[in-house]
Amino acid sequence: MLLPIVFALLLAGGAVLAAQSSINGRLGAHTGVLESAWLTFAVGAVLTFLLVLFFEPQHEATLFSVPKWQLTGALFGVVYMLAIVFAVPRVGTAAATVSVISGQLLMSLLIDHFGWLNNAERALDGSRYVAMVLLLLAIVLIYLSHRRSAHPAN
Amino acid sequence: MQHALILLGVLIAGMGLSVEAGLLGPLGEQVGHLSATLSIFMVGALLLSLALLFSPKRKLGALFKQPRWLLTGGVMGPMYVIVLTLATPLVGVGMTMVGILCGQVAASLAIDHFGWLGSERRQVDGYRLGALAMILAALWLM
Repeated sequence: MLLPIVFALLLAGGAVLAAQSSINGRLGAHTGVLESAWLTFAVGAVLTFLLVLFFEPQHEATLFSVPKWQLTGALFGVVYMLAIVFAVPRVGTAAATVSVISGQLLMSLLIDHFGWLNNAERALDGSRYVAMVLLLLAIVLIYLSHRRSAHPAN
Repeated sequence: MQHALILLGVLIAGMGLSVEAGLLGPLGEQVGHLSATLSIFMVGALLLSLALLFSPKRKLGALFKQPRWLLTGGVMGPMYVIVLTLATPLVGVGMTMVGILCGQVAASLAIDHFGWLGSERRQVDGYRLGALAMILAALWLM
């Protein structure tokens, strides 16, 4: 009984991400890429701060006590947000989403293969190579779809 | 050609997102998942504030002239994190990833197809369904 509810929740969580890209892209087209990305992070920071204040259970370690390199994830998050806000008005939400996901999955295959970031090594095998090729093909298809709608004559 | 470059840029940004997730997971185990998320939004907001302060053409005022619903993008990141934190202990990381990605790709196709949220309409065609199938197949293979 629990499973369908959780899965519906997950689908909604994914849909929210796509909606976020779309909304931020639209906003960025009106106000500028930097402004749109700034608003997302500022509102996100305010909300998460409130959530931490009221709902986070106590932990031994805090953000101030962990090694600083563990806090560098934000750099990647910022680059991602800027890229999305720039790309969505130009290529559409679906093309941007497919590219992001392919990039994520490709990188997670690499992280596993080389055991980067203290992860256990999981070497690339046959099926994982096929998965990489499929992900690249997905991007090519999205690109072709765009080309076709841009030049209906072809 | 320009579109191919944009897609490549977004692909690389997506690779960065995996690195972020790789850092965020272990950090969340130590300090709590909400605090780990706070670190991302807070450091990001501070860096972008500095960048805005020194950018040549800033149009921060334009933000307040937009319809309010266009300003809700920032609400959705935390919503996603809450879903993730609730679901992962119940169904595991793999199932969580599959559910999120399915919702994400399906919604992005629907948004383009129907022109929701004020976006330009881009019809679902064979190529797009093919791309969806490739991603699902890749997920299954991993």
